[in-house]
Amino acid sequence: MVSVELREIEKRWEDFALRVERLKARNGEFLTLLGPSGCGKTTTLRIIAGLEKPDSGEVLFDGKAVNDLPPYERNIGIVFQDYALFPHMTVFKNVAFGLEMRRVPRGEIERRVKRALELVNLEGLENRYPEQLSGGQQQRVALARALVVEPEVLLLDEPLSNLDAKIRERLRSEIKRIQRELGITAIYVTHDQEEAMAISDRIAVMNFGRVEQVGKPLELYYRPKTEFVARFLGTSNILELEAENGVARLGSIQFRVGIEGKVRIFFRPESVKIREGSDAEVLDYEILPGRIRLRLGIEGRVIVAEGLLSDLPFDPESLPRRVGVEVTTFATL
Amino acid sequence: MLANSYHRRVIGFTIAQALASTALTLAIGLPGAYVFAKYDFPGKRVIKAVLTVPFVMPSVMVALGFILLFGRSGFITGLLGHDLGILYSWKGILLAHAFYNFPIVVRMVSALWQRINPHYEEAAMALGARGWRLFWRVTLPMLSPAIFASAMLTFIFCFLSFSIPLIIGGYRYATIEVDIFTSIMTLLDFRTGAALAVIQIALSIAFMYLYLRSLDAYARREEQRIMQRPRRMSLSELASPKGLLLIIYALFVFVFIVSPLLAVLYDSLHFNGQWSLENYRRIFSAEYNPMFGASTLDAIRNSLTFGFATVFLSLLVALPIAYAMHRWDFRGKRLLDVLATLPLASSAITLGLGYIRVFSGTPLYYTPWLLIAAYTIISYPFVLRAISASLKKIRPNLWEAALSLGAKEWKAFLKVELPLALGGLIVGAIFAFAMSIAELGATYMLAKPEYTTMTLAVYKFLGARQFGSASALSVLLMMISTAGFLLIERTGEEVW
Repeated sequence: MVSVELREIEKRWEDFALRVERLKARNGEFLTLLGPSGCGKTTTLRIIAGLEKPDSGEVLFDGKAVNDLPPYERNIGIVFQDYALFPHMTVFKNVAFGLEMRRVPRGEIERRVKRALELVNLEGLENRYPEQLSGGQQQRVALARALVVEPEVLLLDEPLSNLDAKIRERLRSEIKRIQRELGITAIYVTHDQEEAMAISDRIAVMNFGRVEQVGKPLELYYRPKTEFVARFLGTSNILELEAENGVARLGSIQFRVGIEGKVRIFFRPESVKIREGSDAEVLDYEILPGRIRLRLGIEGRVIVAEGLLSDLPFDPESLPRRVGVEVTTFATL
Repeated sequence: MLANSYHRRVIGFTIAQALASTALTLAIGLPGAYVFAKYDFPGKRVIKAVLTVPFVMPSVMVALGFILLFGRSGFITGLLGHDLGILYSWKGILLAHAFYNFPIVVRMVSALWQRINPHYEEAAMALGARGWRLFWRVTLPMLSPAIFASAMLTFIFCFLSFSIPLIIGGYRYATIEVDIFTSIMTLLDFRTGAALAVIQIALSIAFMYLYLRSLDAYARREEQRIMQRPRRMSLSELASPKGLLLIIYALFVFVFIVSPLLAVLYDSLHFNGQWSLENYRRIFSAEYNPMFGASTLDAIRNSLTFGFATVFLSLLVALPIAYAMHRWDFRGKRLLDVLATLPLASSAITLGLGYIRVFSGTPLYYTPWLLIAAYTIISYPFVLRAISASLKKIRPNLWEAALSLGAKEWKAFLKVELPLALGGLIVGAIFAFAMSIAELGATYMLAKPEYTTMTLAVYKFLGARQFGSASALSVLLMMISTAGFLLIERTGEEVW
């Protein structure tokens, strides 16, 4: 198990440049690179793997530069989006491949392949070919193949995006469980913010080839530093307000920002508590399973509020025209 | 040379017959492309397999089959009671060229047809297009790259065709290729031969350029990976008019391809009108056949030896080129691609002529090495194509997965890519083998009598009008080709 660090990584194409000044996955940490397609997250992963060469900068495993090491000398495991199982090999042969490359003795190969398949709950499928397996099973084989060599880093490139929702959620928690059990450093690429929040110790949000912010899931969710991070992780309310004496006001809502002049206030819909009162006009609303989402008008601004139906002080069937509001958590951008 | 009206007429005829052959080939091939793309029916596998036969059939043998079918005492002539006048005329040339090339049209066009996203046609239908209008306005434009590419390839093959016009056309219907051959081999007029060769090369390079352009367009279309599954035709549907047309077409394909072969087989087993193995006994009885200056066993041994040598050499040349183009991007890759395909535009006769000019007087002249070199140049573009196609089908991240699991580059190649490309390698090898044992023109020009091949021997038997011996030796040739053809079928690789 090692820490993985990127320093001043740069890679340029004609129409795109990737620049990661500093990014570190700690020993045994689950770090996710999250961002929209084309943000450079997969390229970053491939640079860590050694499949792509950066124009400049360093990749360090446990503080040692591995820039000049080819992928096969980095002792990594990769799980690809489309699994990349060798179609001409059985499940056993696929999982054994990395061990054979490392010249592990025959008997030990058999033992370790068996253990790896048990780890991903695939006992008994050793002699099948990849095409005879379901997508979820193929993904488990890919995971077992990457893990069996006991890599120091596990790299996962959107491993769940080709699976349907149910299997995705189950495999997601399994990947997390296995990573914990083995204590392995994992770097995970996804564009799905829910997946990222569910699985990661920390998330690095990327945009246009840059890392916008790195932090724990809740930190990023409630205290984003940029508008991009705020919007990418979920529904956001962002208001431009004028602060006086350290307080910005919207109707009767007060934001204690501690600075003067123009401020950008950010808060999540569920940070808006609805009570009885007349602070805001109800513009329209949606009833969702167990929840309600309201669009509220205050002094010509529109904010979105979301809460549990059971927390609402009214009967949702007969909402009043005006309600009282309170914002519990906010951040300035 | 151009002032000579005979040579001018030959050039005109060469282009005209290639155009007409291409038109006939399309007429026969396009319905087949439609049927193969759209329908599944009982016996489709058999017909599909039969379509591979012309790829590996020596043209000398096909010409012999045509003579036995359409000649003055041929089977079909006998059946109809009068001579159709197909033999020793342009009609025979066209028909034989169609025989060779319509499977290319069927394969290339139906492959693209199956990849047309069905939503296009459905959208057009929802907008009110149907029947012929739908076909003309929507389907045909999307198919055109495949039609054009297969037509260009057919045209080039017909333009450079040698054995067919030589044997079926006779001197009256000579093509440039035949004209060069007779100028050099019969009239010993190297200057005329060389001038004709230059004209032929110039023309064929121009055609080749068009073909490569059309192939680019075809490859772009081919990248859409959406497959349309052919619809299963039920037995009751087969009884409908549409089904009957399908059956008639399938039967036609079967008869068209199989009848020349059956004619040769039948003839080889007849001597003086009786069923007999006499023909086989005769070709093997002579220790030395004065007709071609070696024994039949020598010819068989030569064919096999040269064939295997060609396979070895062409794989040796094609595999590194195909792999380099697959693995790396580099300066001049495009140029290498064009250069690698260029031999398609060089004809066997021109090659033979060139070798005579360059090597006569050197120790290499009249050795088997020149023959093997010529065969390799003729066949390796096909080998290259077969290998490239199978390499292209391997997903690039398999290679990356292998590297990430600790395999060095050469190990990843050996353990992952090579096994997955093996089908293409086998197909390429069989092509090289089939093309080398079927080659006539260059062999005729470059082989000393003791290096006579089976194909050359068949041709010499034909020239002496010993049809029985020609048939018997052809059947042996066919058995070797069939072995290759069965191997191709077992790999399951697409040939084109």
